[in-house]
Amino acid sequence: MATTDGDSPTASQRLDKDTRETLVTVVRHTILLTWSFIVLFPLYWLASMSLKPPGTANSLPPDWIFLPTVYNYIQLIQDSGFVAAFANSLVMVSASVVLVLLIGVPAAYVLSRYDIPMERDVLVWILSSRMLPPIAVVLPFFIIFRELNLFDTRIGMVLMYVSINLSLVVWVMKAFFDGIPETLEEAARVDGATQFQGFRKVVLPAAKPGIFSVAIISFIFAWIELLFGLVLTSFEAVPVTLFVYSFIGSRSIEWGMLAAASTAMIVPVVIFLVAVNKYLAAGLSFGVVIKE
Amino acid sequence: MSTPTQTETTPQSTVARLRDLWNDYLPYWFMAPMVAVMVMITFFPGAYDLYLSLVAEPTLDVFSAEFVGLSNFETAFTRGGAIHSFVVTITVVTSALLLETVLGFVLAALVAGVGSGRVKSFYRVLFIVPMAVAPVSLATIGRIMLNSEIGIIPYVINTGTPFAAPNFLSEIPLLTVILLDAWNWTPFMFIIFYAGLSSVPKTLIEASRVDGAPMWRRYVHVIIPYMKPVVFVATLIRLIDLFRTFGVVYGLTGGGPGTATQLVSINIYEQMFINNQIPVAAAIAIVYLVLVVALCNIIIAKVGFEGVWD
Repeated sequence: MATTDGDSPTASQRLDKDTRETLVTVVRHTILLTWSFIVLFPLYWLASMSLKPPGTANSLPPDWIFLPTVYNYIQLIQDSGFVAAFANSLVMVSASVVLVLLIGVPAAYVLSRYDIPMERDVLVWILSSRMLPPIAVVLPFFIIFRELNLFDTRIGMVLMYVSINLSLVVWVMKAFFDGIPETLEEAARVDGATQFQGFRKVVLPAAKPGIFSVAIISFIFAWIELLFGLVLTSFEAVPVTLFVYSFIGSRSIEWGMLAAASTAMIVPVVIFLVAVNKYLAAGLSFGVVIKE
Repeated sequence: MSTPTQTETTPQSTVARLRDLWNDYLPYWFMAPMVAVMVMITFFPGAYDLYLSLVAEPTLDVFSAEFVGLSNFETAFTRGGAIHSFVVTITVVTSALLLETVLGFVLAALVAGVGSGRVKSFYRVLFIVPMAVAPVSLATIGRIMLNSEIGIIPYVINTGTPFAAPNFLSEIPLLTVILLDAWNWTPFMFIIFYAGLSSVPKTLIEASRVDGAPMWRRYVHVIIPYMKPVVFVATLIRLIDLFRTFGVVYGLTGGGPGTATQLVSINIYEQMFINNQIPVAAAIAIVYLVLVVALCNIIIAKVGFEGVWD
C-alpha cells in the first residue's frame, strides 16, 4: 500500500498525460471529420442528384442506393444552349487569362524591381480596383458597352474578366518576383543580355510556378462570375454561370438537369484547385507567406 | 555574341533604334498597359456613376443632361430601400467575416497539429474544395438541400430530431446566406492561415512549450502575434470580396423574401434593371463605392502593412 501510494502520483500523472493526448487526438479528428462531412455531403448530394433517374431525384425518403444514370448529362449535352454557353465561357475566360497575364505580369515585374515613386500608393490603388463592388462598376460599363457595340460580345466579356483579375495578378506576381534574387538577371546582363532578354529568359522561367497558379486563380474567379454576364450579355456571349442560373430562374426547375449543370461547372475547377493547392496559399496571401 | 557597343554614334537602322527605344524605356512599356486598364476600371466608372447619379435621365449627350442635384440620393434613401440594404449588407459582411476567420483559424490549427503527413495533406486538399463552387452552383445546392418540401436537410431534421425544421429560405434567410457563404469561403481563410501557421518558426513554439505554457497561451501570446500580418491580409482580402457578394444571394433568394436578404448589390441591380431607375441605382452605387473604398483604406492606414512588404 505504502509503496503504491508513493508511486501512484507519477503513474497517474503519466496516465493523465497519455489520456489527455489521446483525448486531444480524438477531439481533433472528430472536429476535422465533421468538417470533412460538411464539405463533402453537399457535393455528394449534388452529384448523386445529377446521377439519379428522372422522377426519383427528389423523392423523400431519399434513395440512398440507386442505379446511377447519365440521363441528365445526355439531356444537358443535347441542350445546345448549355454546350454553347460552356464553350463560350471556356473561350472567353481563357482569353481573359492570357490577356491579364500579358498586362499584369510585366507591370508586376517593374513594381518589384524598380524604385517606383509612391510605390505603396500605387499598390493600394491597384488593390482598390478590387474594392469597387462589381455592381457599382457594371452600371457605367453597361451604358458604355451599348454605345460602343460591346454589349453581348465576347470581347466585352473578356475585358470585364481582365478587370476582375488584374489587381490579383499584379499583387501576387509582385510577391513572386520579390522572391526571385536579382543576381539572376544581373548575371545574365553581364553575359550581354538586354534587360528584356533577362526578363524573358531568366526571370519568367523562375517565376513559372507563380504564373501558373495565378493563371488558375484568375481562371476560377472569371469562371464563377455571374453579374457581368447577367448585365452585359443577352444571347451571343452568355457565360455558363448565367445559363445555369436560367435553370433556377425562368424555367420550371428541372432538378436533375440543374444538378448536372452545376456539377459540370464544379468538376474542372476542383481538378485545377487540387492541382495547384501547393502554390495556392502563397498566391492568395499576396506575398505575406512566401513559403509553405 | 552581342556586346554592348552601341554607344558609338554610328548610323542606326530603324529596327535598331526601335529596339533601343524598347530597351531603354522598358519599365514604361511594361507599366503602361496596366496603368491604362487601371485608369479605365477605377476612375471612369466612379466618374460616370457620379454623372448618372446627378441627372434626371441619362442621355447620350452628357452636357445637355438635366442635372437634379441630390434628389436621386434622396429618392434612394427615402423610397429606394438603400438604408435597409446597407444594414443587411453590413450584417452579412461582419457575421460571415467573423465566422470564417474563427472557423478558418481553428481548422488550420487543428490540421497543422495532425501527426501523419499523409492525413494532413488529405485534410488540406479536401478543405479547399468548396472554393471551387461557383455562387450559382452554391445557390443550386442551397435550393436543393434546404427546400422545405424536397430538401434533405429539413427532412433529416424532421425525422431524426425532435425539432421541426425551419424553412431556411423564408424564415431565416439571412442566416442561411451567412452559413452558405461560410461553407464556400472558410477554405480561403483556412488555406492562408494554414500556410501562416507552417511559417511560424519551430524554435519559437518549442521555447514556449519548454516554459510549460498551456496551449491556449501559446496561441494568444506567441503564434497569433507572430501571424498578425497573415491574419490582417487574409481578413482584408475576404472583407473586400464579401462586399462583392451577389451571385449566391441572387440565385438563392433573389433578395427576398420581401427585402430580407436585399444586399446593396441586389438593391442596385433591382433599381437598375427591374425598376429601370438608373439614376437612383447610380446614387446608391456612389455611396456604396465611397463607403467600401474608404473603409478599406482606413483599415490599411490604421493597421498598416507592417511585415507585409519587404
